[in-house]
Amino acid sequence: MQLTTRLARPTTGSRSHGPGGRRARTALRAVAVAAVAALLPLAACSPVGGGAKSAQQSDAGSATSGTVNWWGWTPTDVDTAQGYIAAFNAEFPDIKVNFKLVAISDWQAALPPALRSDAGPDVFDMQPGAYVKNYKSFAEDLTPVMQKALGDDWQSKVAPAGVSGLSADGKLVAASVGAVYSGTVWYNPALFDKYGLQPPKTLDEWEKVCQTFKSHDQGCFVQGAAGEGFDQDTLQAIANSVSPGVWTKASNGEVPWNDPAIVKTLDIWHQLFSRGIMQPGAVGYQQYPDANNDFLTGKYAMVQMGTWYTQYSTEKAMTAALKAAGVSGAKPFPILPMQFPDVAQAGNTSEMFGDADYGLSVSTKAKDRAAAETFVTWLATSKAGQQAVADQLNDVPALKGVEPDFDKITFVDPATQAAPVKQLLSQVGTVTEPRFALLTTDVQDAILAAATSTATGKATPQEAADTLQKAAQAAR
Amino acid sequence: MSGTTAERQRLGAGAAGTEVGPGTRRRLRPAGYLWILPALVLCVGLIYYCIAYTAVISTWDWDGLDPFPEHVGAGNYVRIAQDPIFAKTIEHTAVFFVVTFVVQTALGVVFAVLLHSKVRLAVVYKVIIFIPVVLAPAITAPVFRRLYAPDGQFNWVLEHIGLGSLAQPWLGQESTALPVIMAITIWQWTGLTFVLYFAAMAQIDVSVLEAARIDGAGNLRVLASIIWPGVRGTTVALGILSAIGALKTFDVPYLVAVGGPNYATEFLGTYIYRKTIAQSHVGYGAALSVILLVLALGFAILLQVRSREKETTG
Repeated sequence: MQLTTRLARPTTGSRSHGPGGRRARTALRAVAVAAVAALLPLAACSPVGGGAKSAQQSDAGSATSGTVNWWGWTPTDVDTAQGYIAAFNAEFPDIKVNFKLVAISDWQAALPPALRSDAGPDVFDMQPGAYVKNYKSFAEDLTPVMQKALGDDWQSKVAPAGVSGLSADGKLVAASVGAVYSGTVWYNPALFDKYGLQPPKTLDEWEKVCQTFKSHDQGCFVQGAAGEGFDQDTLQAIANSVSPGVWTKASNGEVPWNDPAIVKTLDIWHQLFSRGIMQPGAVGYQQYPDANNDFLTGKYAMVQMGTWYTQYSTEKAMTAALKAAGVSGAKPFPILPMQFPDVAQAGNTSEMFGDADYGLSVSTKAKDRAAAETFVTWLATSKAGQQAVADQLNDVPALKGVEPDFDKITFVDPATQAAPVKQLLSQVGTVTEPRFALLTTDVQDAILAAATSTATGKATPQEAADTLQKAAQAAR
Repeated sequence: MSGTTAERQRLGAGAAGTEVGPGTRRRLRPAGYLWILPALVLCVGLIYYCIAYTAVISTWDWDGLDPFPEHVGAGNYVRIAQDPIFAKTIEHTAVFFVVTFVVQTALGVVFAVLLHSKVRLAVVYKVIIFIPVVLAPAITAPVFRRLYAPDGQFNWVLEHIGLGSLAQPWLGQESTALPVIMAITIWQWTGLTFVLYFAAMAQIDVSVLEAARIDGAGNLRVLASIIWPGVRGTTVALGILSAIGALKTFDVPYLVAVGGPNYATEFLGTYIYRKTIAQSHVGYGAALSVILLVLALGFAILLQVRSREKETTG
């Protein structure tokens, strides 16, 4: 009834448009003024045109003083970033670095308007793949900066994955800080020991291990299958067991996504669900916090994670992670990495894959550009900066020859963890297959759709692969 | 009865307009227009300009950053017409609207009727029913994710009351994810429906109810023949709000299920976000937004017109 009343009022009001030239002219003038006033502020809103200010056109400023605003989704805890900044300030005390942590889920929403404005970051995180494609035009070419820092043969001094994945259109859009690699599973050795089990090496062994765990009311393997990135990790690991390198070939367009090896990959992926290896309701799980918390709280004995999980082998990081997972008063427990099982049972070793976790880009609109370059150069190419990165055990440093200082790192159980962790970090030096660098967001979305539709039985592996191939073709 | 009241209100508004309209205009002119200028700038400038600009963007193939977007005409709309996920979002919206509106209306009316009778601790019940309305979905979403987890409290309760066979991963399968989202929405918004019906029922003439009782009408007859017609205006208003709300649904399906699994809880709002932000298809997202606007306006007009037709014939 109220709505009826409200709707009636304009009808009544409309009768006010009666004769009266002077009144009408005045009204028209008022409307014109109002319209102009309404449009004036919006003229500045136009999202196209303009473009970024050329770095060459602006004054670079001092390389040893100024303010640098750094935006990133990682380091995911501000304390780590502040640790980097403190170490940097020990060498460059007159450069003030402000770190702003933006959650990865908000990155795509927060960064574009910031980059378009004059109040955005001077330095921002960059990831190989879709982000490079999206934001390359707002990033300065760092090739001259790298040449200045490491010499003309700079490419031979850093990890190749950090160069190829962060380059586009002939320019280096970001300097890699470190890399992460996937294709591993982490497990809780105490739970394996408790039930007299060994880490599985094949699909059949994996199924048996899970049956034993379940018979003792203990969760076996957990993964957040609702998210694309972690599904892709598992699928790529399976594909490397089916036919090594086929996933990268499909990503490159060398083989179609409905190649028999990819269909077989999706079939094995489906078997992870149908044979009771993947936890119930996995396609409704997020890797963070769901799967991560379930593993850290001991509900599951295995979790699909990559080299970034190495940090939780330390007492300090594991204690903090347990606290974040809501475990009060829990003692840190040792975790160990294992190679992804040969799920195809064809005798292939499922090789790891990876690329730069993140690089740092200097915005073309950076106000104190030289100071921003100094900070990026320090963190990505200096021994001090890279050592700080290495000691976190989150990223494998980009600069060759820098390794974690294990004398300063305290493992939860050094006797069982030190050797496997060191071996894992030494293995990644030979990894050549990329993780995200070759895929667009459209293809990644199609991979998620193929994974969930196969997992839930909505599509057969062949149907899901055909749909994925169509989506990938449409995205080209 | 409601028709008579509505007519009286319309007449009242009309009379008021006739009497004070010219005078009001005289007082507004010329300095009066300056007073409405801020509101005009805000309304025309920020809202209608943005709607028009979204319509323009919907004709582009644009990632939101490229300074030279490609004009594709109606290309995005053609792609939407062939997009199976868009069809799913419409289906989910329709199911969501029908189920949430019907259940919320039924619960709202029942609660309002019960609390209009002499109930002890009525204020406490009112508070309990209304509290979910004021809770932010961002706060409740993690709780519901935990509640409906495979090892969550909902399955725990089922197992402890002998219904363990019904325990399942509610958010991890397509068949149950959407019903969970609808259940959460009903829990959240029934309080508002209840309050509006409670207020509307207070406007019903008590003498009519007493007359019905004297004529021998029972509870159900009073509810069906007097109370329900008496609150029809509220039902229509809630229908419009529910329809528009269903079209705009974003927070609960996104925060609880991220539109999944396999798009099982994808709505227009979440799909617009996925396309525009996550995938940087800003032109396509703008076309979806325009369709959302057209659907919302269409629903509102349709329900309003149907309501007026009923009032005229009633």
